[in-house]
Amino acid sequence: MQDTVRAWLDECREKLSKGAMCGGDLDRLEALLDQQRQLVLYLYGKSTNMRSPLASWALFDATQAQEPVLPMSEPPYDSVLAAVGDGWRVVQFPIAKLYNYQGQENDYLGFEFVLEKMV
Amino acid sequence: MNPIEPTLDDDGIMDFVASGFVVLESVVMETYNRCCDGLTAGNCDDLVGSDNFTREVLLHPEVAGVARSLLGVDFRVPRGGHHHFFQEPHLGQTWHSDGLSGRGYDVRELQCYYYPHSVALEDGPTMVLPGSHCRAVDREAIAHYGDILGQVSLVVAAGTVVLTRYGIWHKAGPKINDRPRSMIKFSYHRQATPVRDWHAAEGDPPPYRDRPRFPYVTEVESYRDRVRRMRTWTWLCGLDEEVELRWEQSEPVSKLNHT
Repeated sequence: MQDTVRAWLDECREKLSKGAMCGGDLDRLEALLDQQRQLVLYLYGKSTNMRSPLASWALFDATQAQEPVLPMSEPPYDSVLAAVGDGWRVVQFPIAKLYNYQGQENDYLGFEFVLEKMV
Repeated sequence: MNPIEPTLDDDGIMDFVASGFVVLESVVMETYNRCCDGLTAGNCDDLVGSDNFTREVLLHPEVAGVARSLLGVDFRVPRGGHHHFFQEPHLGQTWHSDGLSGRGYDVRELQCYYYPHSVALEDGPTMVLPGSHCRAVDREAIAHYGDILGQVSLVVAAGTVVLTRYGIWHKAGPKINDRPRSMIKFSYHRQATPVRDWHAAEGDPPPYRDRPRFPYVTEVESYRDRVRRMRTWTWLCGLDEEVELRWEQSEPVSKLNHT
């Protein structure tokens, strides 16, 4: 969404300089703002610390056709913090009290951060 | 019938205890691989239970040798199986474990994958997560996991057989072409009480020699994995011992000669 709004701004600045801007341009901006879509990124840190290295990752992008892509052997970011630095917003942090320390069985991958980016 | 000879030694068993799988590359003869051409998808009990499949795959000395090593004498040989066949491109399956066997530390079932054709990365190979075979999870609750550090895509030559501890996380990987991809799945089962009767050296069983941590495993998970591996090792050796984590570079104070 940001890219399309930036393109709209560039176009309208030029129109404004020529005195060619009109109400339709604002309608178009309104439509662009209504088109926000959410990207969801799961990142699994090796601890609850956002600087921890990652163990697993999964991107869900509903803006693209759902096509198969080959597996990746390296994560898209070094850490959750690096993803936040690239514009991702954390919408779910791992909650330490939900990690049951009883027993000696491993189970799910830990520690699940869910991030979003609006496009 | 000649007895099935075990093929794994202590180190081979210890490797399996850690990773949960063994890959036997190109062990089935190409002439037999081609006999599987044209097999329809789904149930293939007739093929797997046939004399030819039993001889060429199930009782192949290397395949059955691993089964004998891990399941003991007179293990049960599969009489049925399933043909996992994909041709069209697809997103890939989601990560899952089969059945309810994700926990515990015994080895009672080996779930096996036989590939009559070579499989390239673009063909949507089976993917496995080494060391995941004892993780106690609801198979539907790991379906949102994507790529995992250290995951293995089984890019294999024709005639390869992979033997896994039942419960290992696996999936069909994403497929980006329309080349047929076949995998025939079947399982061996244990009957015998566990005992160290594989291709082992003489003497008492050695302590478990730990294997490196898998890349996705956290610090505390690696301690748990180590305990679990020691338990599986002692179980396979038929020992009734409780295991515990201990810092190995230490001695009882009574053994120290001090003034």
